[in-house]
Amino acid sequence: MAAADSKNQAKPMTALLNENNELATFDLAAIPAHLASVLDIEATKAVTSVKVDPLAVLKIVKHSREAFPTSVNGQLLGLEIDGVLEVTNAFPVPTQPGSEEDMTNYQIEMIQCLREVNVDSSSVGWYQSTRLGDFMQQPLLDVQASYQASPSNSSIVLIHDTAKSEQAGNLSLRAFRLSPTYLELAAAGKFTTAELAAKGLTYGNILEELPIEIESSNLASALLAELQWPGGSVEQELMESLQRPSSFNARLRARKLADRSAIADDADSDSLSSLSGLLPSRPNYLARPFCTNSLDLTPSGVTRHLETIGELIDEHIHDANQWMYWQRGAAKEKYRRQQYVQRKKNANAARVARGEKPEPEESEKELDKMFRTLPEPSRLDALLNTANLNLLTKGITQSRGPALTKLYMAQGLHESA
Amino acid sequence: MSTLNLNLPTLAGSMVKSGATNTATTTAQQCYIHPVVLFSILDHFLRRNDNQERVIGTLLGVRSDDGRIVEIRSCFAVPHFETDDQVEVDMEHHRTMYALHKKASAREQIVGWYATGSSLSKYAALIQDFYSREAAPFSAVHLVMDTDLSAGELGIKCLQGAAVGAAAHPENCVFLPLPYELQYPDAELSALQTAADSSEQGVTGLVSDMEQLEKTIEELHSMLDRVTKYVTSVVDGSVKPNNVVGKYLMDMLAIVPKVDDKQFSVLFQSHLQDILMVAYLTNLTRAQLNIADRLQRIL
Repeated sequence: MAAADSKNQAKPMTALLNENNELATFDLAAIPAHLASVLDIEATKAVTSVKVDPLAVLKIVKHSREAFPTSVNGQLLGLEIDGVLEVTNAFPVPTQPGSEEDMTNYQIEMIQCLREVNVDSSSVGWYQSTRLGDFMQQPLLDVQASYQASPSNSSIVLIHDTAKSEQAGNLSLRAFRLSPTYLELAAAGKFTTAELAAKGLTYGNILEELPIEIESSNLASALLAELQWPGGSVEQELMESLQRPSSFNARLRARKLADRSAIADDADSDSLSSLSGLLPSRPNYLARPFCTNSLDLTPSGVTRHLETIGELIDEHIHDANQWMYWQRGAAKEKYRRQQYVQRKKNANAARVARGEKPEPEESEKELDKMFRTLPEPSRLDALLNTANLNLLTKGITQSRGPALTKLYMAQGLHESA
Repeated sequence: MSTLNLNLPTLAGSMVKSGATNTATTTAQQCYIHPVVLFSILDHFLRRNDNQERVIGTLLGVRSDDGRIVEIRSCFAVPHFETDDQVEVDMEHHRTMYALHKKASAREQIVGWYATGSSLSKYAALIQDFYSREAAPFSAVHLVMDTDLSAGELGIKCLQGAAVGAAAHPENCVFLPLPYELQYPDAELSALQTAADSSEQGVTGLVSDMEQLEKTIEELHSMLDRVTKYVTSVVDGSVKPNNVVGKYLMDMLAIVPKVDDKQFSVLFQSHLQDILMVAYLTNLTRAQLNIADRLQRIL
């Protein structure tokens, strides 16, 4: 017994305060290597990727869908381990106007409640839903900046594009955080052309995108498998799904199976065994698709996109004109100043040549006072505008491939029909 | 006292009168469940305390006006503590969470409760009585998930309590099965698809639209292959024909619209030109933006 004690003490011990403020001691060696960095509070490791639990994804999707087309946001909960940000839960933040204090209280209370049921209680960022993909707005940057201002600096924002997820049949979720360059400039509050060029901030690097992975727990995987292949007789399930109006691919079926009762009478229960040929082989069962929306031929909101792009281009031109106006004003003022200096120099030279005493020259400061140039308007709005334009046009360019593929697929179908 | 103490019969005398509410409620006849609820329950179960066998929580959702159709949209966990002869449900937690949920999604009401485990808890009737009062004037729905996978599946069951016996007692309750269906809105489907793809290989990232389309087309291809094989074997008589499948396939074929060649080629050409035009214009815009950006840096 005593020998065991002394052996324990020989190992490195780490002391931590537990919840009851008691000094708890535990063996550092017992901690798995990949968790060791969690204990090292001082170390700051930049987040390099994001792992999202299906639960968090579904909660975000549900919230965004219910509020569509309004843009909504909420809080992300999780943990950062060794450069990987794990988002395990999320909760919506009310959209009704309320005081800031109410909002903060709501979030604190919610986190406290969730902590009671052992949900990860540390905030790792927030999510926002978008309708068209033009999410680059000043408020978003400000909120994200306030999240990143916390010492851990590992907060992210998840952007969920509801319309795209629904129409393209492909989950559209992106993780972003502000780039250090932007933060540096925002802290100084200087968004002038010279500063932007010097620091190299362009519309493309305001936000940094992080790769997202979706990781399901074993139980969640079991659930997913079961949702794809409900238990019981597979053949029976197939028969039922052929007759049920509200299941997978329901819309097509409901349209065509108006006369369901007649079919149900025809159903011949002992012929079920003959259906096995129609089903995919079991080992491959996870491949049964949930979603076939990506095959939808109707164009997905291109008109709306183009309208928005048009508006943004107008705004862009307006911004450019404003900047040109300022630029011209500034140039004129500069020219006048140079002329004044030159004239004074010439006059003084003439006076010296005549043997008179030269007039005192104005210092730079006095000159600045005499020829006041307007401060350059902040380039941030224009920058965000450009960033949005870039996002939208990129989205359209990316949707071209699938659109063309589907078009040619329809052609193939037509030719073979 | 923040917790609700529910005791087995010997001490439950004070609850007798409330049990009568059970008989007056409208019973539900159909239940729809959103997948997020199931994932929340599993997550809650995974995060249970040490040596806790089951977890319970509140189900939130909407009802049709007559209360016959229940749609379970979300849920939250409620801490509870079971011993051999009594169960404690953290009422304060339940109330706070409900109030918080109300703020974010005002339409959702309490529709019932969930529990995990392969069988009903022996306190199920008592808890059911409590939730029936919360959900009044409608009946409460009880959702059970077998997280032990004792039958090799998660066995999702939807139940509804009904009072039993001459005099209604909260501890006397028979749970009747309630037919349920899972609901998959489009946006959720795409999320589930991604998650299902990931659970196949552990963890995967998101894919681009193009890759997703490719996968779907492949799947469509294999479906067509299977159907062709089936139809051929029915035609050559090796498999007994089935009327339901036959009719279904007929319906499916009838969906393909009949467009004459000329009209199709006109439609095809105009659509193709639209796509190419839009792509060209957007690319041009991007190039312009890029040039503007470069020029500004030179200035």
